[in-house]
Amino acid sequence: MLLWQTSQTINFAQGEFVMLPAFFVLAAMKFGGLSFPMAMLAGFAVSLLVLGLLFKRLVVEPVIRHGVLPLVISTIALAILMKEGVKEFYAADAQPFPAAWATTNLQVAGMVVSVQNLVIIAVAALAVAALQYFLAGTRTGRSMQATAQNPALARVLGIPVGRMVLYTFLINAGLVALASFLVSPIYLAKFTNGETLGLVAFVAAIVGGFNQVRGAIAGGLLLGVVDNFVAAYLSAQYRAAIPLFLLIAVILLRPQGLLGRVEERTV
Amino acid sequence: MAALLEVRELRKSFGGIGAVNGVSFAVHAGEILGLIGPNGSGKSTLFNCILGQLAPSSGEVRIDGRPIGGMRPCDLNRLGIGRTFQLLQVFPQLSVRENLLLAGQEHEGGMWSRLFGPRDAGLSAAANRMIDFFRLAALAEERAGALSYGQQKLLDVAMAFMAGPRLVLLDEPAGGVNPTMLGGLRERLKAINETGRSTFVVIEHNMEFVMSLCTRILVLAEGRIIAEGAPEAIRNDRAVIEAYLGT
Repeated sequence: MLLWQTSQTINFAQGEFVMLPAFFVLAAMKFGGLSFPMAMLAGFAVSLLVLGLLFKRLVVEPVIRHGVLPLVISTIALAILMKEGVKEFYAADAQPFPAAWATTNLQVAGMVVSVQNLVIIAVAALAVAALQYFLAGTRTGRSMQATAQNPALARVLGIPVGRMVLYTFLINAGLVALASFLVSPIYLAKFTNGETLGLVAFVAAIVGGFNQVRGAIAGGLLLGVVDNFVAAYLSAQYRAAIPLFLLIAVILLRPQGLLGRVEERTV
Repeated sequence: MAALLEVRELRKSFGGIGAVNGVSFAVHAGEILGLIGPNGSGKSTLFNCILGQLAPSSGEVRIDGRPIGGMRPCDLNRLGIGRTFQLLQVFPQLSVRENLLLAGQEHEGGMWSRLFGPRDAGLSAAANRMIDFFRLAALAEERAGALSYGQQKLLDVAMAFMAGPRLVLLDEPAGGVNPTMLGGLRERLKAINETGRSTFVVIEHNMEFVMSLCTRILVLAEGRIIAEGAPEAIRNDRAVIEAYLGT
């Protein structure tokens, strides 16, 4: 969503972007002999470099000048390359990923709550708050918003548009690395992890509103709640179809998303 | 003393068709130069070449005697050169005040202050002055996209002056602005020129506006300068009348 707003980049490899950083960490431990905390730091840095800087320079910049569709196809190809690359060169089977926090459960008012899930919720909420503060509360964030809304004017006003777009790619890379480190201890590091994550994230962003961060969060929450209610009270077999039904309904009834803004675009 | 802006033998062709065909002129500090001509005469192309948004086919542009060819728009902004566009250009989802702060903030502070410094970059007072000057006080916290066309045009012009530029290229500032607002806009531009010592180059189709604002006028037709002089002389120039009336 951030990438779309600043550079019209639709990244169909976003799910694989979440899958890959966990393997950077595992590779740093296995081949580099690093401790888990050091491997996390190395994995984060490599994610910024590969999924931020190199993705922008080697994939997006050469292809986007030919239009959005070639970029969509390129990112689909990139997703396949990443998935098959991990399967071929690291492991085809699921790899255990260490957790940086306790894996015990807590009893809260008669309910069993996993500490891991609480940590995920807390870190995700902090990340969203930090991102919102950065975008709305700093001059650099305001420059990034300006770049997203009108890059031609931003350039004339002296805003280094190229640098703002790079920041967006780096923030995206940082967030996917964080997501990878959070979910991999639960779902294990698997080369197929990106398939589900990418689809659900994409559907959540469209359902919530592609041009609003809070829209994507609301979309994600809605999908999660509906998914679990369907599995519990209807049928677990149909739970995978629910996001797609929701997607079709939103596109038909409210194409801008539940919290999205209608945008006019000159063609 | 070198001219503030000097354009030498500038040419720009698109697929063999010359949009600007060897234009030369100079603008001195404190001038308000009008650039008029029929539709398709090359005025906006000339602006875009001067500001580096189009690469000229040949020729040179100098600021203070120094060539600026190949400089990026953001570097030109730091040299004190601003512009407005023929089509409205604001940041529609940001407030009027934020639009003005954005227009001035790139001249203030380094990377650290951009991340952790005050969000207004110390420009609140300047933004307030600009809001009052262009009579936008009642709309200061409104989203720019929610303003009327004329109000957005005023904001567009106000943004061009936020960074205290020495030279501003205004592309049809009167376009789509109602007559009441137009009088106010002209008076404000004159006041900035007199008190702020800003220099303007103005493209405009509204003859009454341009004749009453500018101190000197250049007339372009088919990418060439066909007349140059004081507003009164241009008004009576036979070549200009023929270019406009096609006789």
